[in-house]
Amino acid sequence: MLTEATLRWIGGLGAAIVCVCLLAISGAVPLRYNFRNLTVRWRTTLLTVIAFTFVIGLLTVMLSFVNGMQRLTESSGRDTNVLVISASATDEAFSSLTPEAVSGIENLPGISREGEQPLCSRETYLVVNQPIEQPRSEGPKRRFLQLRGVDNAEIAARVHEVRLHPGGSWFSAAGVQQGDADDDETVVEAVIGEGAARELGRDASNWQRDSVKALGRLDVGDTISMGGRRWRIVGVMQSAGSTMDSEIWTYRPLVAFIFGKQSYTTVVARCASSAAAGKLAQFLEKEYKVAPIKAFVETAYYAGLSGTNQQFTVAIMVVAFVMAVGGVFGIMNTMFAAISQRIKDIGVMRIIGFSRTQILTSFMLESLLIAFVGAATGCLLGSLVHGLSATSVVGSGQGGGGKTVVLKLVVDSGILSKGMILGIVMGFVGGLLPAGGAMRLKPLDAVR
Amino acid sequence: MKYLTLILKNIRRNPLRTLLTAMGTMMLVCVVTLIWSVLSFLDRQTSEKSQNLKLIVTERWQLPSQMPLSYADILSKGAPREPNDLTIADRDSMTWQFFGGSTEEDPRNRSPDSILFAFALEPPKLATMMDELDELGGSVAAEFQRVVDKLAANRQGLVVGQSRLDLLKQKVGGRLTLFSLNYPGIKLDLEIVGTFPPGRYDLSAAIHRDYLSSAMDQYERETGRRHPMIDRTLNLVWLRVKDRQEMAQVAQQIESSPQFRNPQVKVETASSGIAAFLEAYRTLIWGMRWLLMPAIITVLAVIIANAISISVRERRTELAVLKVLGFRPNQLLCLVVMEALAIGVSAGLSSALATYLLINLGFGGVTFPIAFFSKFFIPWEAVVLGTIVGAGTALAGSVVPAWSARSVKVSEVFAKVA
Repeated sequence: MLTEATLRWIGGLGAAIVCVCLLAISGAVPLRYNFRNLTVRWRTTLLTVIAFTFVIGLLTVMLSFVNGMQRLTESSGRDTNVLVISASATDEAFSSLTPEAVSGIENLPGISREGEQPLCSRETYLVVNQPIEQPRSEGPKRRFLQLRGVDNAEIAARVHEVRLHPGGSWFSAAGVQQGDADDDETVVEAVIGEGAARELGRDASNWQRDSVKALGRLDVGDTISMGGRRWRIVGVMQSAGSTMDSEIWTYRPLVAFIFGKQSYTTVVARCASSAAAGKLAQFLEKEYKVAPIKAFVETAYYAGLSGTNQQFTVAIMVVAFVMAVGGVFGIMNTMFAAISQRIKDIGVMRIIGFSRTQILTSFMLESLLIAFVGAATGCLLGSLVHGLSATSVVGSGQGGGGKTVVLKLVVDSGILSKGMILGIVMGFVGGLLPAGGAMRLKPLDAVR
Repeated sequence: MKYLTLILKNIRRNPLRTLLTAMGTMMLVCVVTLIWSVLSFLDRQTSEKSQNLKLIVTERWQLPSQMPLSYADILSKGAPREPNDLTIADRDSMTWQFFGGSTEEDPRNRSPDSILFAFALEPPKLATMMDELDELGGSVAAEFQRVVDKLAANRQGLVVGQSRLDLLKQKVGGRLTLFSLNYPGIKLDLEIVGTFPPGRYDLSAAIHRDYLSSAMDQYERETGRRHPMIDRTLNLVWLRVKDRQEMAQVAQQIESSPQFRNPQVKVETASSGIAAFLEAYRTLIWGMRWLLMPAIITVLAVIIANAISISVRERRTELAVLKVLGFRPNQLLCLVVMEALAIGVSAGLSSALATYLLINLGFGGVTFPIAFFSKFFIPWEAVVLGTIVGAGTALAGSVVPAWSARSVKVSEVFAKVA
């Protein structure tokens, strides 16, 4: 099945090709005349193509970054889940829910059950300062890690639909295990998202762990330091494409003990259907009186974290527009030069019967061909970043909160379509004025 | 002088091409100036100083940092315990409590424009400890001091940035009620006593910390129970020290103090703290610095190279004539390079200057939220940078065409003409 984005890409590319073809067909001036002119002045043509390539390539890369963030927020959360935070909080990190408020929620009708157990995960989310063990001389001395304490790992995994990579396991009932043989201290068990494992694996040059060498990330058995304790990774989540990818999960009472955060921040409840989830969220929002809370269908909560994406998109559009205008001036220069070199050609063509429109078409075609090649090359080069990892922050964009995420750059058909269309528009706008000038030349004046 | 006249005449020979090249240069220099301004600001914020350092004391492990207000007085002094310990002077410390509120009581009616985040602090510290406000001078400083004095005298006062004031549709002297987002059940009735000087704090606000404390006391009196945030209301303590030696001593005093065990605290330089926040934006900053800037500069050089090479190609006969008239090859090379430089420098300078004036005075800064910085301004150095970028790209773009002009063979050109 063709996705909407693929259709957009095909549409954009198709429109560009149709535009060029129509001009080629409608113009009586042979296409090879234009090709020859472009190849004769190959240096000028090449320089203009390079300028287009850079502008469109940059646009592709910048949009792939925002697209990656957008995909991440869209694919995080389930429409059958209801997420609850305290009423005054703008984000999970600022939420505080008492045990009474939480226990009141999980017994509500509409929440799915597994046997007697409601599919309701009680969680404490917090952002932790982690001193970097061997920081680079110019780099930061610490980083922020996102820690999620869950009361019941199995239930949390069911609610969030998270699985572990083979070889991993969820943390034990105690949440701790014996440290190394020569160390009496216990280590805290943790399950880590793939993205976070990759981020922490960046210190691999210092650690030289086998897992980092083999997988490019930390793996089961590796340890990290956090909150003054050693933490051992017992499982790696298959979490790519969601905000969970950047999180570390552990047993919640240990979060309360180590970091002093006694309250819950979040409750996520699983419902049988999206309709049931909507109904439950509405009930919690309007009629739940045990504690002041906010309830969202989980997908709506993550959609609300796209404020940063919108801000970045606006910034990118401004930069792309200004660069595009610069590119338009570049192609105008090229086309004006092309025309001034061929004034006599134009005069001869007019004398032997070519109309003004055909002259206009011919020069527009040249401009569009340059733009097409430049834009296509830019899209192609920009596409090379597809799949690369990046870090960013997703949030509501209103200050306060936000989640640090590891994301993949995504170049899709929509972006390529935008790149091609912008390129063609630049070529059209840049070519129009010079081609119009060529069209207005009087035959006798031109050959004189 | 004749040489200069020749350059100017050549530039004016094809005004359209000169204009297009200059316009292209101006647009791209504008982008370079904007990006550089953002990056240089972030670099300044994260560069470590060795003298006159500002330190921040925060909760050791968690974000957001939330400490009991009982920490405030001791931390503000640097937690001295022994007679030889260093004590921070009152003017060199500042406490921050973050208060977020909305003018709308009903959460469903709240919008970004109705929300206000304010620093609750000791009013005099606004002028002595806040970044950039502590460096004001002249009439701006005197005017702001009057605002600070008003806030000190009015516990319910509010100082707010002009942009935020406009969003709130309020004026100085107006009153508003803020319903708290992060202090459940707390509302503050505030009177706007003045604004921040234009710049970094355009979207920020500050209130009297005593008013927040008394509002929490009132909550306890009315409800009969302590406010749930009462032990977590202190977010940050700022300290100013003379040098790195003092910093190490103060950090040791605080971090080894038994008074700060639950929660534990940490001391770091402000620049180090900001660098940690910016780590999440690592890719974005890297991309701006090493991808966007070089690519734009390359496009700029290509556009100039294109224009100059077209110009040289069109003037091969004229260049040959100049050679016949006695111009040496290097003089022709310089002629072409100087033409490009004249366009590059003038376009770069005017673009950077226009960007500086338009962004700083016209738009009141460029909005680009990154970490806790929301607006960026164009420093005057950017005008110099814009000129250098214009000149540099003109030089780079004109080298090959200029070499081509230098290498014009008189016999070949005249053979073609003949």
